[in-house]
Amino acid sequence: MFRSKPNVNGVRARYEWKGMIFILPVLVVLAFLDFYPLGISIFLSLTNRSIAHLFVYQIVGLRNYAAIIGSGTLFKILEQTAVWSTGSIVLMAGFGFLLALLMTQPGISGSRIYRTSYLVPWAYPAFITILVWKGLLDYQLGFVNKFLALFGISKIFWLGLPSMAMLSMMIVNLWLSFPYYTYVYTASLQSVPKELYDAAKMDGYGTFGVLGNVTLPLLKRQIAFITVFGFVFTWNNFYIPFLLTNGGPGTSTYILVSYTYYEQTALLQYGIASAYAIISVLFLLVFVILINRYTKMMSVLY
Amino acid sequence: MINNVTESGLQRRADLISARKNAYFRRVRKIKRIITHLVLILVAMFAVFPIYYIIVNSLSPLATLASVSVTSMLPILSRISFGNYQALFVFQHGVLLRTWLTNTLIYAGTSSLLGIALSITSGIGLSRFRIPGRKAILYMLLILSTFPFVIMVIPFYDMFSTLHLTNSYIGLIIPYSASAVIFAAWMNKNYVDSIPRDFEEAAQIDGYSRTQALFRILVPMTKPVIILTLLLAFFGPYTDYALINVLVSKNSLWNMALGMYATTQISSHAINYGMFSAFAVIMGLPIFIIFIIFQKYLVSGFSITMYK
Repeated sequence: MFRSKPNVNGVRARYEWKGMIFILPVLVVLAFLDFYPLGISIFLSLTNRSIAHLFVYQIVGLRNYAAIIGSGTLFKILEQTAVWSTGSIVLMAGFGFLLALLMTQPGISGSRIYRTSYLVPWAYPAFITILVWKGLLDYQLGFVNKFLALFGISKIFWLGLPSMAMLSMMIVNLWLSFPYYTYVYTASLQSVPKELYDAAKMDGYGTFGVLGNVTLPLLKRQIAFITVFGFVFTWNNFYIPFLLTNGGPGTSTYILVSYTYYEQTALLQYGIASAYAIISVLFLLVFVILINRYTKMMSVLY
Repeated sequence: MINNVTESGLQRRADLISARKNAYFRRVRKIKRIITHLVLILVAMFAVFPIYYIIVNSLSPLATLASVSVTSMLPILSRISFGNYQALFVFQHGVLLRTWLTNTLIYAGTSSLLGIALSITSGIGLSRFRIPGRKAILYMLLILSTFPFVIMVIPFYDMFSTLHLTNSYIGLIIPYSASAVIFAAWMNKNYVDSIPRDFEEAAQIDGYSRTQALFRILVPMTKPVIILTLLLAFFGPYTDYALINVLVSKNSLWNMALGMYATTQISSHAINYGMFSAFAVIMGLPIFIIFIIFQKYLVSGFSITMYK
């Protein structure tokens, strides 16, 4: 780490220690407010700390991990987290990409008005709009069911049935996130040189031919990066599962993050909660490393 | 018979066919365009409706969620009343709106200013200097962004209660600014990467020292990313619920998110929905307006600073 690297001319370039002053706050924060707490968290996952053993607790080794794997809760939550993240990202990224394709068609009038109205879900704080959606989707009194009644559709248990609750979460997530995906995909679509489209049209490709032979191959890496980090973000998305359904009905809509929070703040099982958090992190790390190995998507960063 | 068809007759026929073909293509294009607009309009309605819904509700004399109906959604000017807003500013049902508003502004304002001030040079440090362990630091910043915040909740509670910082402003401003420092450093670095070195080098030829050149030339050039990160660092604490819920128990130190949740969400059907709507507008509209004003920085800046 302290050996200097050879530079282009083969001369050993010296490290510039002065640069450390520029990033001193970052280093302090990394050390004291990220790695130290992280260490505590890993340590706590190996103890039996809970509200019953708040100050006097023992190291129990991997017993927490064994317990949550043995009880089957982990696999249930993990499955729900995977369903939630995959379903959401397919909906959001797919919808965002389609919308971006529609908006980047040449000669669409009024696209400014559309673009501005699509900003609304992104611009309004999510904490509030999720609670608004909770009211909209209420079974008895919610506006969505009242509106559907106009068309003779009977009331739907949006948040009251396990499968519907998960779908409702995805719909709300779609509403919240499609603007972001539409905007980033629009930006990357506009980065494709126009001449390539014209050339492909000359060669006789239709709309889908252009999409499959020009657009997608060119934007593969960008799309992979946006989608993978969207997946990671959704995996860790706390507010939708917490505010919209709070895990219910039963435990059918808990995901790892919201379940960890529930263990911490309601069940007060700190050791077990930390074990859940660590498992979640390990999953994501393995996922990102594997994906990166196949798509080399990190190269968009350097 | 082919012999009976004259040269000009053939020509006319070809013209007729191509005209029909053109008309056909024009019609297809027209239908395509109409469908496109239809889809775009439906999506726009889907996007805007919940906000329209909450604004209309906040301005009508509603009692509960039950009194929301399809007809109460129609914009009728004579029905407008500000009763919900007035009720919110009078202390009732445990609502301390003014205190929570002040607290929220203190948390979000102080921590965003502090966090961004501390990270203003970090992008330059990470982009322009050959720092030992530079790559490791960058990877750590990236990997940390995949960590869920819940992993920090208990350790933060432990740390801050040892330091007697729970139930205090400082105990919240520290973690908020810390998270701002981390993402701002990452975004700053990517932004500085996109600025050519020519500017600072020109300044150095003009007689500035390197440090002077970096501070006087490069730092002012990072204004867009400073505005972007400042806004993001403000938005985070503004609607934080999860962390403040653990670190603060006194309702005189709550922010608006905690206050809103505790006073309008705990008992679901009995709550005064008009008051919730007014709360949602008062809390959300300022952020919405700031976002629309600075959308140039937020929307395009996001893609420049997250990936290139």
